[in-house]
Amino acid sequence: MANVVLKNVQKIYPHGSRENKKEQKKKAKSGAVQEQQKNQPVVTQDGVIAVHDFNLEIADNEFIVLVGPSGCGKSTTLRMIAGLEEITSGELYIDGRLVNDVAPKDRDIAMVFQSYALYPHMTVYKNMAFGLELRKEKPEIIDQKVREAAEILDITHYLDRLPKALSGGQRQRVAIGRAIVRDPKVFLMDEPLSNLDAKLRNQMRAEIIKLRQRIKTTFVYVTHDQTEAMTLGDRIVIMKDGFIMQVGTPQEVFDRPENLFVAAFIGSPQMNFFPAELVLEDGKYLARISGVDFPLGADLQSGLSQKKVQAGPIILGIRPEHLTLCDSATTEPHLKATVEVCEMMGSTLHLHAKVAQNEVVLAVNSVDLPPEHRYGFKPGEEVNFSFNGNLPHLFGPDEQNLIYA
Amino acid sequence: MKSQIKAHNPIYRGISIIILFALAIFFFFPLFWIISGSFKPAIEINSATPTLFPINFTLDNYQRLFQQPALLWLFNTVFMAVMAMALTCLTAALSGYVLAKKRFFGQAVLFSLLVSAMALPKQVILIPLLREMAFLKLHDNLWAVILPTVGWPFGVFLMKQFSETIPGEMLEAAKIDGASELRTFTSVVLPIVKPGVGALAIFTFISSWNDYFLQLIMINSTPKLTISLGIAKLQAEMSTDFGLIMAGAALASIPIITVFLIFQKYFTQGITMGAVKG
Repeated sequence: MANVVLKNVQKIYPHGSRENKKEQKKKAKSGAVQEQQKNQPVVTQDGVIAVHDFNLEIADNEFIVLVGPSGCGKSTTLRMIAGLEEITSGELYIDGRLVNDVAPKDRDIAMVFQSYALYPHMTVYKNMAFGLELRKEKPEIIDQKVREAAEILDITHYLDRLPKALSGGQRQRVAIGRAIVRDPKVFLMDEPLSNLDAKLRNQMRAEIIKLRQRIKTTFVYVTHDQTEAMTLGDRIVIMKDGFIMQVGTPQEVFDRPENLFVAAFIGSPQMNFFPAELVLEDGKYLARISGVDFPLGADLQSGLSQKKVQAGPIILGIRPEHLTLCDSATTEPHLKATVEVCEMMGSTLHLHAKVAQNEVVLAVNSVDLPPEHRYGFKPGEEVNFSFNGNLPHLFGPDEQNLIYA
Repeated sequence: MKSQIKAHNPIYRGISIIILFALAIFFFFPLFWIISGSFKPAIEINSATPTLFPINFTLDNYQRLFQQPALLWLFNTVFMAVMAMALTCLTAALSGYVLAKKRFFGQAVLFSLLVSAMALPKQVILIPLLREMAFLKLHDNLWAVILPTVGWPFGVFLMKQFSETIPGEMLEAAKIDGASELRTFTSVVLPIVKPGVGALAIFTFISSWNDYFLQLIMINSTPKLTISLGIAKLQAEMSTDFGLIMAGAALASIPIITVFLIFQKYFTQGITMGAVKG
């Protein structure tokens, strides 16, 4: 149990260093081509900046999730907290103690790695006991702690086995067990579920939630999977190119994304974006998309007028589940789209369609559809859709949310 | 799939067994000839119609061998080979690990130098080595044969390849668990690279044992001779007494066969792993 405070923490990989090259390669790999051009790593005369001016206060017993695409600096931040990576500048406090220059073993932390990193020649028991043995704990205390942790994780039967005789899920439990026995002040997890298959990942995610309820300690969890972030975190830190894009509870970041990046990153399927025009008519704001004027809801109206937002070009974001299909005969403002792909997801249908030059995804409940469309739409079919005026997110030309940023 | 079917085919199996058996006899025969010959009297060895097994079994050759300081030579050789093996394994495992997993200035250059050193034929460095040992006042001393073997570039190279298979995260886990550098090496690295060390042990033991040329250059006086030098000396002095030489060779082969039997598991593992994972 401890709070963790990061003050203006920076990580710069000097030019020519191996890490620098690795970082650049990682950044180049991340995302699509257009994103690649935007995602250029920030290079200064000192080197490549992997983490910029990171400020965060993590409270006692809080579960913080660092999330972002690969190369965003989330793992580097975690490794700086662990002491595996040197902090270039800034201050890191664990439980009120400045730990910048403290060795990992003296930081009272435990870490679970993506690859489990179990010692292959030691039994499960030895793997879990190793850290305690190094601390010169009494054998009976070691035994008690190992058995307690094994009990929690349901791996008591495997204590005498070698890691190679375990499945991926069991190995990950052992890795977590190795961390639990140390009674750490801070529990660090670096993409612990990424190596597991989808089913096991869901199962282990639930186990981590249960574990968290049993052991009261501070968690810092790194993932690139927004579902993991949303389900596990008390608060989520969304990162991009070494910058924090937003910090907030899962609900906050979902409902009030501060910028385009967060809006696009959180939520699945991804939020739709339309280039639009914000129009001010008789003191009321309207959003004009492809020549159709959509009135905005009361909350957005008051938000925009409070901030005295000027009319002009904007990007309108709306989540796929907030789009509703409507009749072409309706007098309400609506857009016409041509279906390209229809994905049957069970209870919902994901319609990938095209409106003018824009791709749009609609998530519709299959039970709400007329019988002829319950099992899908044919490519080339035309659909009409509309949305509730309170639900869109409006982003200015600087990609910031006009109301919440 | 195809090779599996082949392996189960009785004709295919039969032919492979015959070929392997023939090869085994081919390689085993010289050893058999030495052992058999060491129990034959001189007349029988030199006879125009050679016999496979001794007709007049005798221990006379061994009796004459032990009139020479043969046991001392054997002890010298074992001491030399064991020391070379132990020191080489230790230094190679340590430096291989450091080259594979640590970052330091000049690392790439150091490694390139090491690899180029592997390309140097031993004959080229023998004279400089002799001068170096003379300078260290180690001439005509067993350490003059042991020390040049330690730091064998091939050993470092082999251990580097093995150490590279250790995931970095495992070393970081050890760091977080609180292991010191030395403890990480002994408790985490060494057990993982054990097959490599095993293979290297046997390689070094055999090459040190067989390095006749180096021994010949470095050692002169009779009590310090190794067994191979000793046998050569007998040959020179006693106008080729084959019985005596065969007894000496049989005696000399015992330790090396023992070492091979102990480490053979690692030997094969080491050859394949070093090759594939390199």
